[in-house]
Parts: sequence; structure tokens; C-alpha cells
Amino acid sequence: MGVDDDSREFERFARPHAAAALRLARTLVRNEADAQDVLQDSFLRAFRHFRGFSGESPRAWLLSIVRNVSFTLWRKRERDDPGDVEATLESEADPGPSPESKLLEACDAEQVHAALDRLPGLHREVLVLREMEECSYREISEILGVPIGTVMSRLSRARAQLVRELVGDPRSKN
Amino acid sequence: MGTFDEHPRGALHAYLDGELSLEGSLEVEAHLAECGACRRELETYRALRRLLVSAKASAPEAESALMKVTRSVRMRRRRVYAIGGFGAMAAAAAVALLLVPTLSNGVVREVAAVHARALDSGRSVEIASSDPAAVGRWLSARLPGAVPPTAGGDGFALRGARVDSLEGRPVATAVYQVRSHLVDVFAWPSTEKDMEPKPSVAGRWTVCRWSHAGVAYWMVSDAGTDDLKALAALIKERRT
Repeated sequence: MGVDDDSREFERFARPHAAAALRLARTLVRNEADAQDVLQDSFLRAFRHFRGFSGESPRAWLLSIVRNVSFTLWRKRERDDPGDVEATLESEADPGPSPESKLLEACDAEQVHAALDRLPGLHREVLVLREMEECSYREISEILGVPIGTVMSRLSRARAQLVRELVGDPRSKN
Repeated sequence: MGTFDEHPRGALHAYLDGELSLEGSLEVEAHLAECGACRRELETYRALRRLLVSAKASAPEAESALMKVTRSVRMRRRRVYAIGGFGAMAAAAAVALLLVPTLSNGVVREVAAVHARALDSGRSVEIASSDPAAVGRWLSARLPGAVPPTAGGDGFALRGARVDSLEGRPVATAVYQVRSHLVDVFAWPSTEKDMEPKPSVAGRWTVCRWSHAGVAYWMVSDAGTDDLKALAALIKERRT
């Protein structure tokens, strides 16, 4: 009984956030086998340390572990460096011909995932955390280890870029 | 945030995300009322959100991955408890074993391994309290018939307790501290006759098996043999 207690407790602790953890892993490593490895490694690390967890959001804590594990893998593979994101962001396209929201409504899930894949890692993850996992800015700030102001500005750039990938420039203001 | 000179770029996102104060929201709304471009941008991001939500994949495999991890942890531990399966032991327990290579007694190895694992994991207690009644209640809620700990004294402070498994049975583990040393005291009800504590040193650990008044004990610590004798005497005194 004593042997099993903490692993059962960990299951209860982690289960509500397992799907979010896998989605984030997929967002960050883009290859299903790697995502599964990242997920398992993250669960194992989280299990070793969850007794010491004292924060407010188990989800943010678990997702920050997923992120660290993913980055470790990234570094190992020397692929897809997320560091040069900022440089690629500020180009502005021509105004679109019709309201972007209508165009977006015509997109399907496959197009969304393809467009997400074209974004830099830092943009993909912030979008997934906010729009799919519905994390608050505070949780995202905790997961990414950046100030809330950075979460906001990164999110605004990420959204603009994703819209651009899908249908054209969202800021086609006159 | 004041009124906007131009378009409230970042604030528009914070507004969409419900992250603004009431005051900030009102400012953005005032701007939106006058600015068609920002209304259009906001509508675009709302459509983007609907699209992302609709594209959110379910991930049922995630739960099975979790179960796989916790199951493997349990399997590994059971092998630790089944004395003899040393090759498959958890790393922490293996470290503990390397430290007590001179011991032939499997149970002593097990006691040391449990103690070392608790120390290595950074959670030597599952309930932290110096109140023996509180610790006793916590133990008996998890392990019916658990032997409640006795209060500290004579330089020994009760730090709390865990539930462990030893020789295939669940045991109540009270944790005491003497100076900088933690002492694990495993206890379970027993019908064996009283046995005097004779601590022995095994590598890094001092261990001791004894029994008194219907309770059997294992003690393990990196404290000295005199410390374990003194703690046993204290427990006997409190229990009588």
C-alpha cells in the first residue's frame, strides 16, 4: 500500500493535465515519436518532484516540465532553434481584400495545423497554451518563465503571424 | 494604461483574453467604438480563436502514457521489495546497496534502501508534524492498526511519518531527528517476545531491530549506535 500510494496520488495529480501535456509536446517537437518520449520523460520527472510542488497551478508546473524536456531534446537534435523568432515577425503584408474573419471561417483543422507548423516554436506554443489549453497569462508566464508583458506581446505577434499564414494581414488598417 | 494614441495593440489582445481590469476594458471598448480597424482586428482574432479551438486535437493516448509511467514505477519498486532482484533496482536503492556491501542480511539491505530512497527523494516524511496524536491519526487513516509514534524528547524531535513497505508488509514509519540526523523508525504490531536493541553499523548506516510490548521495530539512520539506543529507550519509556 505505501509503495503504491504516491504513484496513485501522482496519477490523480497529473491526469487532468495529461492531454494538455501531450498537445504541448506535439506543438514543440512536431514528431509523434518524440512527443511521446517527451511526455513520458516529463511524467517521470514530474513524479520525482511533485511532492515538492507548492505552486498554484499544477497544470502550469507540469507544462513547464514538458517544455524543459522538449528543449533538452531540441538542443540534443540541434533543430528548429526558437531563438531567432523575433527577427522574423515584423514584416507586414498588403491589406487583404475582404474581412479576415470570414476567410478564417472557411479554414479547416488541417490548414490550421499546417499553418501552426510554419510558425516559430515560441509562437506555436503561446498560441496553443492560450487558445487550446485556455491558460491565463499568469500561467503562461509561469510555464515560459517570462514576464506577463512578454506573454501579451508574444501572443499578439503570434496571432498576427498565424492569421497572416492563413489568410493575410490582420492589421490591414486604413 | 492611458488613452490610446494609436491602436491599442497589446491591450486588444489582453482585452480579448479577459486579462484587463475593468478600467482597461472600458478604455479598449471606448476605442473600439470609434475605430473600425480595431473592431475588425478583434473580430479576426475571435475567428482565429474559434478556428484553433475547433482544431484542438483530443489526446487520449496521454493518459495511457501516464499510466505506463506510474505502472513502471510501481513494478520497479516491487522488485526492490522482492529481495534478490538487485539488477532491476531503482537507482536510489542501488546506491544505498553499494553503500552497505558488507551486509548479507536481505532485510537490513531493504531497511537501508527504504531509508535511502526516502532521503534521496527529498521527502523523508509524508506528514510533517511533531504532534504524535496528529501523526498517529494520519497513519491510522492510511494503515488500519498502524502503531502511532511516541513524542520526541531527550534531543530527539518527532518530524513526522510515512507509510512504507517492509518485508512485504505495510509499516508505519515515524521519523525523528537527532542533531542533523534523521532516524526512520519502522513499527508494526507483533506477538514476538521482547528483544533488546543492539544497533550495528553497516556501511553508512546504523541499523537496529528490536521489539517491545507487542510492537516490533526496525530503526535506521546515519546517526551513531548510542543515538539509536537512546531513541529506543525513549520510545520504550513513552510506551510503558
